[in-house]
Amino acid sequence: MTPIAANPPIIAVSLSSPEISTWKRARRSLFKAKWPVLALIILSLVVFMAVFAAQISPKDPNRQNLIDRLKQPMQIDAKTGKIENFLGTDGLGRDLWTRIIYGAQVSLAVGVMAVVVGGLLGITLGIIAGYQGGRVDDIIMRLADIQLAFPFILLAIMVLVVLGPGVWNLIPVLGVGQWVTYARIARGQTISQREKEYVEAARSMGARDIRIMLQAILPNVLAPLIVIASFNVASAILAEASLSFLGLGVPPTVPTWGGILNESRDQILAGKWWPAFFPGLAIMLTVLAINIMGDWLRDFLDPRLRGRG
Amino acid sequence: MFKPHRVVLALLTLLVAIPLVVSAQAPDESTIVIAQSVDVGLLDPSAVASRAEANIFGHLYGTLYEISEDGSIKPYLAKSYTNSEDGKEWTFTLNEGLTCHDGEPLTAEDVAYSFERVANPDNKFTGNSAGFVLPAVGYVGARVEDDLNVTIITDRYQSIGLGLLSEVYIHCKDSYEKMTLEEAGQTPVGSGPYKFVEWVPDDHITLEKVEGFTLRETFFQTEIWRTIPEASTRVAELIAGNVDVIANVPPDQVEAVNASGTAAVQAVAGTRRMYVGFQFGENFKDAPGYEALQKKEVRVALQYAVDVPTICSTLLGTECERASSIVNKPNDNPNLSPYPYDPVKAGELLDAAGYPKDANGVRFETTLMGPRGRYLNDANVVQAIGQYLNDVGVKTTVDIRDWADYSQLTRPKEVGPMFFLGSGGGTWNALYDMADFSAPDSGVNYVNWPNPEWFKLWNSLSDIRDPAKEREVINQMLEIFYNDPPWLMLYFQPDFYGVSSRLDWQARRDEQIVVYNAKLK
Amino acid sequence: MSRYIARRLLQSIIVIIGVTLLSFLTLHLAGDPTYLYVSERASAKEIEETRIKLGFDKPLPIQYITFLGGLARGDLGMSIRSRQPALQMVMDRLPATLELTIFAMIISTLIAIPIGIISATKRGTSLDGGIMLIAMVGQSIPGFWLGIMLILSVGLQLRWLPISGHVAVFDPILEGNLNEAIANIPGALQHLILPGITIGLFSLARNARLVRSSMLEVLSQDYVTTARSKGLSERVIILKHAFRNALIPVVTMLGLEFGFLLSGVVVTETVFSWPGVGRLVTNAITQRDIPLVQAAVVVFAVMFIIINLLVDLVYAQLDPRIRLG
Repeated sequence: MTPIAANPPIIAVSLSSPEISTWKRARRSLFKAKWPVLALIILSLVVFMAVFAAQISPKDPNRQNLIDRLKQPMQIDAKTGKIENFLGTDGLGRDLWTRIIYGAQVSLAVGVMAVVVGGLLGITLGIIAGYQGGRVDDIIMRLADIQLAFPFILLAIMVLVVLGPGVWNLIPVLGVGQWVTYARIARGQTISQREKEYVEAARSMGARDIRIMLQAILPNVLAPLIVIASFNVASAILAEASLSFLGLGVPPTVPTWGGILNESRDQILAGKWWPAFFPGLAIMLTVLAINIMGDWLRDFLDPRLRGRG
Repeated sequence: MFKPHRVVLALLTLLVAIPLVVSAQAPDESTIVIAQSVDVGLLDPSAVASRAEANIFGHLYGTLYEISEDGSIKPYLAKSYTNSEDGKEWTFTLNEGLTCHDGEPLTAEDVAYSFERVANPDNKFTGNSAGFVLPAVGYVGARVEDDLNVTIITDRYQSIGLGLLSEVYIHCKDSYEKMTLEEAGQTPVGSGPYKFVEWVPDDHITLEKVEGFTLRETFFQTEIWRTIPEASTRVAELIAGNVDVIANVPPDQVEAVNASGTAAVQAVAGTRRMYVGFQFGENFKDAPGYEALQKKEVRVALQYAVDVPTICSTLLGTECERASSIVNKPNDNPNLSPYPYDPVKAGELLDAAGYPKDANGVRFETTLMGPRGRYLNDANVVQAIGQYLNDVGVKTTVDIRDWADYSQLTRPKEVGPMFFLGSGGGTWNALYDMADFSAPDSGVNYVNWPNPEWFKLWNSLSDIRDPAKEREVINQMLEIFYNDPPWLMLYFQPDFYGVSSRLDWQARRDEQIVVYNAKLK
Repeated sequence: MSRYIARRLLQSIIVIIGVTLLSFLTLHLAGDPTYLYVSERASAKEIEETRIKLGFDKPLPIQYITFLGGLARGDLGMSIRSRQPALQMVMDRLPATLELTIFAMIISTLIAIPIGIISATKRGTSLDGGIMLIAMVGQSIPGFWLGIMLILSVGLQLRWLPISGHVAVFDPILEGNLNEAIANIPGALQHLILPGITIGLFSLARNARLVRSSMLEVLSQDYVTTARSKGLSERVIILKHAFRNALIPVVTMLGLEFGFLLSGVVVTETVFSWPGVGRLVTNAITQRDIPLVQAAVVVFAVMFIIINLLVDLVYAQLDPRIRLG
């Protein structure tokens, strides 16, 4: 039984078909729907921006120019006669476009790495708990309860107050906030897989536990977790923005979307909309795209919902 | 029958309908509303620990003397004072007929109690009175002479003694003896022009005019002090006319407030001295740039590297005069003029000091630390300073911490090799400002500045009773400060107050919000 | 059943010790909190005296054991900054936060359920597509940005709703002043709408999508098909069979929702100047007011435990296949 809250049942899916037809099916299903394609295009662009930031903009994201602060988007520079900062500049005269594409690097990295950290931790503990059962299971599930009873935001504030803001402190904090979800699903899946014939067979042939967990169980619990992971990348990006608001994101010298948005929040009332609008738009579009992809992935992986909607 | 459409429709109608019955929120003619960004921690007059608390206590309690806006020290609850021959004893004569808000007569015994209560170690008070004023005056004890005369005894003479003693809030003995410490922190019994009505934590504090308090002329019946942490929300409430006075308007929002027609911004030249400290402490010996910054010539050169006027006009939204020393006007040394912005000269001086640019254009590397969320636009100012230093070839890493974090590093002097900080100042006495450097190892000498000449002169001051002679020594000390600068001198922090256009009120320079003199136009 | 509850209680004690130990260690690792309690001009001697006054000079294990002893007696100590019983302070601020979270939960579920049902029944239409797109956008907006935008547009430009502040309803009820509570309701609702939307929009959007997908799942089940073939009207099918089952994931979510809404509360209370626990506890953390933080952590953990116990009970009611044991 699950001690505190049960898993949301929507995620109880499994991937059983052979791999090649899966990919074919994925391509077909993806291109049949409009939204996922659009989402994929947006995501690819964002990733492209992040990877080739230095090539896309020759400017330094931290280069200030106080005289040119808060320049409007598309404003033609009096000296050069060209548009120098096509999305305008921020409160320190830094090029907003450059900061946003460099911000994509950090924001995406934080989102993905947080999921990797949380995923590794959660899946490992979940499989161990499900496979071993008994005392080990009890301890891990108690840890999960403690984690859940500790509101994430409080934990995040405390840890970041202690460690200080920074990318490398933020990632484990956001990751630790997620591990329980993965652990519970992995545990549930493991329990149902544990009694399956192929696991029994492996065990009777004298395979070591760790080997069974890695080779027989892990591949079978991954599919539903990938869906959760995609949603969590999105929520990690949003959480970074919230923590920035509380002064606990990353230092202002490192551009992130949440950080840029937060530094510019006083500008909204001042009538300077662009420094708060563009990073906000970047967050919104990216999170939206990830969620649409996640939805599609879930529908696709869930055989009961396949072919509908 | 359940119809999902109708439920949605009904709820949406409700959401739209509720606003239509909005009641007027704007305060009436007998009420003034002030919004501050933080709430008080507790309402004990002996444990004031923040500006927000001091603002409210300034209305609830009287003090013996009072530091007025122009820096002069004027009688308040006391009508006169005498200072003993050796300067260690201050005897105050109280006004007659004073009472506390519960009706108890306020006499010399109560004044003595107000000091004793702060000093009593059993009360475990922290904050301005216990942590700064009493140690700074060298408090020994209080002696009741008769009903109206009371003597405060200190262990040394200081010309700033009277000003410091004027920061202690006076309250009645019987009212406070009746209460436990916990109760005293919740239900203040004051002695000033307004009395306490209610405190809803993190929401508001309500005060009401004390009828028959004759030492101050007051105009509003009720004062409501709201707590609104977010700057944009505060400004929105001001523009909407629901709040009359707010502090800390973000510089970039000044224009929006002035354009609103319902409120205007008053910019005042504040007294808080903002600076970049050069750390002399041994624990930074191995930090990058430490060695270079020990050289007087390098510290002087860097004064030329930062364009303070541009920082003010862009990031602080106002023109400001650059500081020429540690002391606020008009008590500074008039012979010293602020260092101008001259990056070429900065470069030449750094060359001459033995730090030419290398192949990458770098002279030396260092770190500049700074806080976020404490001073006006602090994080941006620190980043801008970092950029200016980089521009003259001092490769500067900017390290910005949240204020709660940062304040824990400044006290044990664990900030450096360069760090941004502000120090509250006064207009009433140069020595008050100079007390940052009372000893090489004093608590507020955050940079551990060791200059022996300065401290020799500082110690000589307690023997000088002649103001002209004192002035001479002060000018000499400020010159030392100018030529061997422990600080990269920046500016006196400007303060922006948003004031409703219905109000006739003038903001003060010393960060205090005093509104009992405010009236309707 | 009683054995089940007893075991849950035992587990809860372990959870509470776990969370308090975690927060205690974290806060003390942050360095010496003494400096937050002395004036900015305090000398080294004064700082040392303050450290002793506040008890921070004692070894950490002793400080924690002292705390646990107090916890067992129901005494969580005094807030360092406010000199008030820490537990009392948290409980005083809880009603305002509950008003906000309950309001947010109500609007997010009450609007989400019908929207999700509409969307599911109109599957594949542009109405469905539009609703789901809006829901997805609702899930992509950072809370503080939404809050500031609502204040500036609805509050300041349109002047439809109050910009900030709080009118209490629960507090007068707790004081036994029912008339005042009722009189406060209209004002309270006005003040609740903007912060309620700021917190609730994300949940609203998520719940709508959750209801939709679980409705779709239920509608494809055999028994629904059977009901259809028996000629029952679509409305009866939806209400009698599908709706109840579609609620299960939403109820499950409500349990987890609490911790989630709380995250929103911290930001929203700051933006809207709402005098709730979120601000109390963030201030307490930045001021290192350790007893106050501990009290808040204990209260949150207890609430979490109770809410999830309730959720499990409701869950068992909704879904007869689930047995508690």
